[in-house]
Amino acid sequence: MHAGKPTSEDQDIQSWEATVSAWMDGEDEIRPEDLDSPYGRQLWDTYHLVGDVLRSDDLAIKPSDLFYARLSKAIDEEPPLVASRALKRYVNWRMGLSGLAVAAAVSSIVWVSLPYLTGPESIPTVAPQVVVAVADDAGVWDYLEAHSQIAGSGALPVTRPVSFETGGGR
Amino acid sequence: MTGLLHGVMRSFRARRQGMGSLLMSSALAVGLAGPVFGQQQEDYQDSGMALLRSMRDAARNLDYVGVYTYQQGAVMQSSRIVHIIDGTGERERIESLDGLAREFIRHNETTHRLIPEKKTIIVEQRRGDRFPAFLLGEADQIPQHYAIRIGKYPDRVAGRPCTVLELVPKDVYRYGYRICVDLEHAVLLKAQTLNRRQVINQIAFAMLDVGAKVAPEQLNSNWNTSGWKKQDALLSEVDLASEGWRISFPPGFHPLTQVTRSMSAGKEVDQLVLSDGLAAISIFIESFDPNRDNPFSKEVMHKGAMSIVRKRIGDHWFTALGEVPADTLREIAERTQYVPSSVN
Repeated sequence: MHAGKPTSEDQDIQSWEATVSAWMDGEDEIRPEDLDSPYGRQLWDTYHLVGDVLRSDDLAIKPSDLFYARLSKAIDEEPPLVASRALKRYVNWRMGLSGLAVAAAVSSIVWVSLPYLTGPESIPTVAPQVVVAVADDAGVWDYLEAHSQIAGSGALPVTRPVSFETGGGR
Repeated sequence: MTGLLHGVMRSFRARRQGMGSLLMSSALAVGLAGPVFGQQQEDYQDSGMALLRSMRDAARNLDYVGVYTYQQGAVMQSSRIVHIIDGTGERERIESLDGLAREFIRHNETTHRLIPEKKTIIVEQRRGDRFPAFLLGEADQIPQHYAIRIGKYPDRVAGRPCTVLELVPKDVYRYGYRICVDLEHAVLLKAQTLNRRQVINQIAFAMLDVGAKVAPEQLNSNWNTSGWKKQDALLSEVDLASEGWRISFPPGFHPLTQVTRSMSAGKEVDQLVLSDGLAAISIFIESFDPNRDNPFSKEVMHKGAMSIVRKRIGDHWFTALGEVPADTLREIAERTQYVPSSVN
């Protein structure tokens, strides 16, 4: 979250956390009473939660599809801070990276993010998911209908034109 | 927060190193269990295929009435289906309950497609299997391209206990499926299309009655169609290969049919349908007219399981679409060549 060089305070915290982690792995020494602070207890709990989840999937929270959608939307919205609002409106379809690809990438890091989403104050407030509609094109629908007339056993809706998102991947 | 993340990651790495020996031993265990597991896989393929076939027979031979819902992303659509076997054969009516009103009334191989807003009936000589049919064409090759797993515990859909079956693709050319098949009658109750472990669309009965409760009156259309235009769907057989099209099929996909059809815009299009027994791909070829054709802005589109790839090949528009990954279609498009014979 810090774009510039880490401050010395950051480095201190980081090295202290590294030490705690190493201590839990039996590789280093700390004074355990140093952990007796709100931050220390949170750190302790987080490490154990991560460990428990790694050992047993049953302990992991299964995020809903909506969660993935919100998270991928949030990630989409985060980085291009350089882009102005006005510009962003014209780039409202995802270039190159499809929603599913984003969700797939997200699922691999989601265990890291989970501990921070437990408190109500930390739930990101994200606008409802916007379906990226590029073409409600009658032309597309013609082909879909022709396809489903012959290969209709697939789970294709019988009447409703679907809108498509463009992109390079699956 | 960055600092904490770093700490967690470091801890994760340390643990992973520690887990090395654990991984070794589990790899050994898998190695030992290999032959037994392989045998079980074989058994599942046989019983899985048997179940898929009885599912196909159930969809064709039973009397049933039900309401099913298709869901993909934010789109949801329900339909009512009535299917009855009488002295003349198979009769079926499918009616859409959301959005545009549509009805499909089928008697054996003849399907009447009702388009109420145009007071038109389109007549097709084709059975056009839809849900709860699941297999396409000869499905014998499914085990070559999908691993079949059968769930140990029954699930429940539309108030009915059902057997869970997973069809896991063996390569990247197709999606996976998780389906649930009625324990009592082998009717397909629910089908999910999976991209890796993620559901990308699904269709399931919300209610289903099988057998005596199905009244033949339910086959009657909601619409009084007297005075409606009746129009034959103009489909004629075509042979794209003899016309010079060299189309490379993805592994396991075989042609189901190839026809010439007229689209609503009045243009003639050749359509080739491929299937691996579960997934279907349509390839459309038409002449390219820069004045008329202002098709989609992008070459690749996808929505849920459905992908579309377009490409201009010479003076033709090549469109491939189907419930497969976009890369599968892109590969077909890239490998297709048009080599018209010089004699004609």
